[in-house]
Amino acid sequence: MTFSRRPATSQTGRVALRRSGGQGSPVPFLVPALLIVFAVLIFPIVFSFVVSLFDWPLSAGGGQRRFVGAGNYKDLVMDKEFWNSLRLQLGFIFIAIPLELVLGLAAALLLNREFQGGRVVRALILLPVFFLPVVSGMTWRFMLQPRYGALNNFLLSLGAPEITWLGHPTFAYAAIIVQDIWRMWPFVFMLLYAGLAGIPSDVLEAAEIDGATFWKRLFLVILPLMYPTILTALLLRIIDALRIFSEVYVMTEGGPGMSTTLFSLYTHRQAFGYMKVGMASAMAMFLLTISVIFAVTLVRKNMSLEKLEDQGGNR
Amino acid sequence: MKSKISVLLIVLLAVSAMSAFAVGDKDSGTASGAPARTINVLLWDDPYPKALMAMLPEFTAATNITVNIEMLQPPQVLTKTAISVTPTSTDYDVVGIDEGNIPVFASLLLPFDSWYKGTVYPKTDPKSITPKMYSIGTWNGVQVGVPINGNLYVWMTRKDLIENPTYKAQFKAKYGYDLGVPKTFKELLEMGTFFYENDIAAGFGPFNGGPAGVLSEAVFMWESFGTKFIDYTGGTYKVVLDQAKAVEGMEFYKKLMAISPKGAETMAHVERQAAFAADPKGVFSMFIWPAQIAAYEDPAKSLVAGKIAYSAPPAGPRGQAAVTGAWAIAIPKASKNQEAAAEFVYWWSSKAIADKLVQANTIPARTETLTNPAYAASKPWLPALADSMKVAASRPRFKEIGQVQDVVKKYWVMGITGAMPTNEAIRMIVKETNDILQKAGY
Repeated sequence: MTFSRRPATSQTGRVALRRSGGQGSPVPFLVPALLIVFAVLIFPIVFSFVVSLFDWPLSAGGGQRRFVGAGNYKDLVMDKEFWNSLRLQLGFIFIAIPLELVLGLAAALLLNREFQGGRVVRALILLPVFFLPVVSGMTWRFMLQPRYGALNNFLLSLGAPEITWLGHPTFAYAAIIVQDIWRMWPFVFMLLYAGLAGIPSDVLEAAEIDGATFWKRLFLVILPLMYPTILTALLLRIIDALRIFSEVYVMTEGGPGMSTTLFSLYTHRQAFGYMKVGMASAMAMFLLTISVIFAVTLVRKNMSLEKLEDQGGNR
Repeated sequence: MKSKISVLLIVLLAVSAMSAFAVGDKDSGTASGAPARTINVLLWDDPYPKALMAMLPEFTAATNITVNIEMLQPPQVLTKTAISVTPTSTDYDVVGIDEGNIPVFASLLLPFDSWYKGTVYPKTDPKSITPKMYSIGTWNGVQVGVPINGNLYVWMTRKDLIENPTYKAQFKAKYGYDLGVPKTFKELLEMGTFFYENDIAAGFGPFNGGPAGVLSEAVFMWESFGTKFIDYTGGTYKVVLDQAKAVEGMEFYKKLMAISPKGAETMAHVERQAAFAADPKGVFSMFIWPAQIAAYEDPAKSLVAGKIAYSAPPAGPRGQAAVTGAWAIAIPKASKNQEAAAEFVYWWSSKAIADKLVQANTIPARTETLTNPAYAASKPWLPALADSMKVAASRPRFKEIGQVQDVVKKYWVMGITGAMPTNEAIRMIVKETNDILQKAGY
C-alpha cells in the first residue's frame, strides 16, 4: 500500500515546459534565480573559505592579513579546545534531539484525537517555540539560580540541598540541553502531529480490525508512514542545533571553565575574543561540512523513501 | 484614479512638510552658530555613561553637535568595535575601549596628539587625569585614548553588620579583636567566616563572571601574595608567576569561596549585586568596580544604600593590590567627524562635567575631582578610591590577552572550586599561557 504525495512526475513537468512554448533555452529564465543563489549562498561560502586561508586579526580591520594556506586548519586540528567544543556540540545534538523526537512523538500520538479543549492544549504546547532563544536562556539562567531560582526553591521545599546548577560542569551542560529540549520539543511535536494527521484513517482502522495492538500499529504502520516526516524533523533540528548560540551564551557564556563552550561559542570566541577571523572562518567551514554531511545523508534517505513510494504508486 | 492621485499628492506634501519641520528643529536652538553635526558614539552600559546621557542636551546646545550614544554590555562593545571600526571606515566617531583591549585596537585609533583643538571646549590636559589611570589610554608610548573613569578595586564592607553591638561582642569574644572593615586577608577570612557560620550573611562575594573579571581576581590574589603574572621585559612578554605564591593565592581564594553565597562559581556583576544589595542577608565584604557604586547606593534598587563602608582592599601577606579596570574613549582614524568627536571628548573630560558626574555617584578620572575634599563626606568612596590608587595593579595587556584570559578563567575556576588541585591548576595556567606567548612570537 503506497501513497504518492507528488501530483506530477518530473517527466510531466518537462512536457508542460515544452508545451508552454519554451522553444529556446531555459537558461535566461534561470539567471535571476542563479544570481540570487550565488549572492546569498555561494559567495558567502566562498568568501568564508578564502578568509579561512588567511591569518586575519580582526583588530587590524581589513588591512593586515597574511596568507597561511591550510595553517588555520592545521592549528585547529592541534587545538584541544576545538575538539572539546566539537565533542560538546555533537553530544548536545545526540542527546537533545532524540529526546525531543520521543517527546514530540509521544505528545503527537496522545493529542491526535478530538477532545474538549484539544485545540487550546495543542496551541499552549507550542508556546515555548515562540520564546526568543535569548529570553529562554535568561529565563533558565534565573530559574536555575541557586538562591533565588524557582527550581532550587522547589527542591528546598522538599528538603533537598541547594544545588549550583550552572556552576557545575556536568549540571551546566545538562541544563543547556534541558533548556533546548524545553524550547524545541514542541516544534518537533508540531511537525510530527502534522505528519500523523496526514496518515489516512482507513489504514489505521484496517490495522485495528486486523487485531494489531497499539505497539504493532505504532511500529508497523504509523512510524513507517511517518518516516519522511521524522527525517525532515530530524534534519531541521540538527541544522538548528548546530547553530545554537545565544541561549547558551546568556546561560553560561561557555562556562564553568569550557564545559559548555559549544562549537558555535568557540567560533564566536575565536572571532571576537581572540580576534582571529581566519580561524573562526576555518571553524565555520568545518561546521558547514558537518551540516552538509548530515543534510545529504538525511535528504538522500528521505528522497529515496519518496522514490520508493513513487515507484510503488506507479506499479 | 483621480482620488488616488490626490491622496498620493497629499501624502507627499505631508512628508515634505514634516521633513522641513525636522530640519527646522535641528537648526533651531543653535547656540554656537556652528553647523549642525551628528556623531555616533559606542559606549559600555553602566551608570557612568547613563549619567552622562542626561547631560547631553547641554553639549548639543553649546556645540550644535547631536550625539547618538549606543550602550552595550562590555563584551558586546568589544565585538561591535571589532566589526565596525576598520582603518578605512567606521560606524562610530567615538568608541569606549576598556583598558585590556587598548593594545588590540590601538592601530585603528587616532593618536591623541593629532586630535583637533577644541573650539568650544579646550583640549583635555593629560595632566588632569589621575596618573595611575593615564597609562591605560596609551599603547607603545602613544596616547590613543582619554582615560575617562577612575575604575579600580574599591572594597565594600557592610557597615550595619560591623557596627552591630551583638555581632561585635560575639566576634571579639571568639577572635579577640574588634570587628570592623577588614584590613588584612586574615581579618577578611575570619570576619567573613563569623558571619557565614552564624548564618548572618555570606562572608565574601567572589567574581567569577567573564574571563576579564576572573583574571582581575587572579591578579588581585597573586599581587597580594607577592607575585606578578606576566611582565614585559627585554622587549618581550614573559610569564613570571611564582608558582608557590600563586598556589597560596588560589588556596586562599578557595577558602573565601567556602564562605560565599551559593552560585559563587558563576557570580558575575548581576549576581554579585543581587547578593550584596538585594538579598536580605547579603554579603559581608567584597570588591566593587566604582563605576557601579551608583547602583549599590540607589535606595530604590539597594537594601544597603548608605550602609556601606568603603576602603582600599585588604592586604595579603605581601601587601595590598587594587586591580584597575578603567575605560578610555578614543576616536577611530577613519572617523569623518573627528573634530566633533574631539569636542565631545573634551566636554566629557572637562572639570564641569566631572563634577556633575561625581554628584551622580559616578567616578571620573580627573584627579582634582576625585580628591576634592568637598565631596569626601557625601561620597565616602572617593577617599577609598584615592587609597586604592596608591596600590593600583594592572592586568597584563597585549594583543593575545583574550586567549590568556580564557586559560586563566578555565583553570582558576577549576582550582578554586576543587575540580582540580590548585598546584595543577597553576601549572596549567603557566604552561598554556607560555604556549600562547610562544605561538604569538614573544
